[in-house]
Amino acid sequence: MATITASNPPTSTSEKTRVWRIVPAKAEIDPIRYARANRQRRIWLGVLTPVVLLAFWELASRMEWINAQYFPGPSRIIVAAGDMIASGQWIADVGATLRTIALAGVIGFVLGLFLGVIMGAFATIRHLFEPVLSAFYTVPKIALLPLMLLVFGIGETPGNLLVGVDVFFVAWISTLEAVVKVPGGYREASESFGVRGIREFGHVTLPAILPAVFVALRIAVGQAVVITIMVEYLMGNKGIGYRIWHAWSLFDANTMYVGIVTVAVLGYLLQLLVKFVGARAVPWAATSSGGDK
Amino acid sequence: MSIDPTISIRDVGKVYGVGRKQVEALKGVNLDVDANEFVCMVGPSGCGKSTLLRIIANLQRPSSGAVEVTTSATAVRPSAVVFQDYSIYPWKTVADNVKFSLLAQNLPKAEVRDRVTLWLEKLGLAAFADHYPSQLSGGMRQRVAIARAMVVESEILLMDEPFAALDAQLRRVLQEELLSLWQDMRRTVVFITHNLDEAILLGDRVVVMSGRPGTVIGDYRVPFERPRQADIRATAEFAELEQELWLRLRDEVHVGGETRSMKVA
Repeated sequence: MATITASNPPTSTSEKTRVWRIVPAKAEIDPIRYARANRQRRIWLGVLTPVVLLAFWELASRMEWINAQYFPGPSRIIVAAGDMIASGQWIADVGATLRTIALAGVIGFVLGLFLGVIMGAFATIRHLFEPVLSAFYTVPKIALLPLMLLVFGIGETPGNLLVGVDVFFVAWISTLEAVVKVPGGYREASESFGVRGIREFGHVTLPAILPAVFVALRIAVGQAVVITIMVEYLMGNKGIGYRIWHAWSLFDANTMYVGIVTVAVLGYLLQLLVKFVGARAVPWAATSSGGDK
Repeated sequence: MSIDPTISIRDVGKVYGVGRKQVEALKGVNLDVDANEFVCMVGPSGCGKSTLLRIIANLQRPSSGAVEVTTSATAVRPSAVVFQDYSIYPWKTVADNVKFSLLAQNLPKAEVRDRVTLWLEKLGLAAFADHYPSQLSGGMRQRVAIARAMVVESEILLMDEPFAALDAQLRRVLQEELLSLWQDMRRTVVFITHNLDEAILLGDRVVVMSGRPGTVIGDYRVPFERPRQADIRATAEFAELEQELWLRLRDEVHVGGETRSMKVA
């Protein structure tokens, strides 16, 4: 529908009548070229905003409109990043952060998915746990950190648990909602053919909830990055979050910005990965971008 | 009255996609529709009837050729459309759904109210003005969709299988209602249907389209005087014409690519 916004101008409007001429436009006359131009335009627009922002930042820093000690320009940050990468520190930090996200995130998500499906399928279990879990859902997970430190001591476990719990809730609530909302007709059809239990799950319920699961996964990935960085701020001695906080306490602005930019890029790439996998895992879903109808 | 045809379709073609995934939906379509004429279009699934309707409605553009639609100078859009799937809004009441289509016309409030009331009454919806679509039956919902298109009082009305989702009895009721409504208040209508009986009952002309790529392969004048009643169904001429249309259409239905009809229809 995107191609129709500009309606065709009427060619002739006399006093009494108006003639609407509906004729091919650029998109119809040379569709291949139009599609290519559209694609290029999308890429350019996507790149334009960060480039303009970075250029302005660099300029502001060089011209000393802003204090370069706290706001060093991108060029200085890139140099700092080069040093960090060369020393192996950057890789170690990224590795530590990614490890937490992957380990805690995957376990949390799978458990949430599992419980969501079970609770969606069995009303008794749903009624047994939903109120308690809903109450817990709204508690900021970071508020549980002191409690976890008390129970598990200082180490990696409390941080991993927090990330896992947060991701768990996102997966659980989305999955439950999706399972409950699977159209009754799908269930009746499988029931009428005697397809039940694990087979019904694999052939009907899982594909039906998959689009919602991937939306949840995108949200969960974002959350996992945020909580991981937060936990690294507060405790531990490695990871990007720790690096940002540590740099701040040493007034090392360059390293701090390298950390912040790394988090942003990491978050973006993880989202991209989920989108990429999602598009392949759910080939029957209509895509939100692209397509000419 | 102008002597120009109200809708003039010249060599219209429509191609979807590019390269190997390319699908030719329409090819060399030529058709004129006169002012106040009721033209029914029949054709196999996926023959591009709906695509053609969307092009006439200026919702899509053709890949080649041209469509000219002549309206009065004050028209906001070339035509009013009744869609296949109703597309009335579930969050608006019946009256608000009908009112919605007057939004772009910037009419005085009193006139909007009068027109909405008039068309709700004409379609037997007055008692349901404050109901939400979900509280209505399929037939009532389709009446809302028709009222929404009629209230614009556009000279040209496009209808895309408006009764396809209704059961056979209800379909007959709405056909007869539309017949008398149109005979009271003439418009130029292009009406798409799968139903030959419906096409003959309602139309001045029945245009037959081929399987994909869709093109006009037959144009039949319906030999019944206006105003006509539903009982013309019982006449021999009616059955004869229906048979003739079916013979023209039968081979096309077999070649018409059913599998991908969803994409183009």
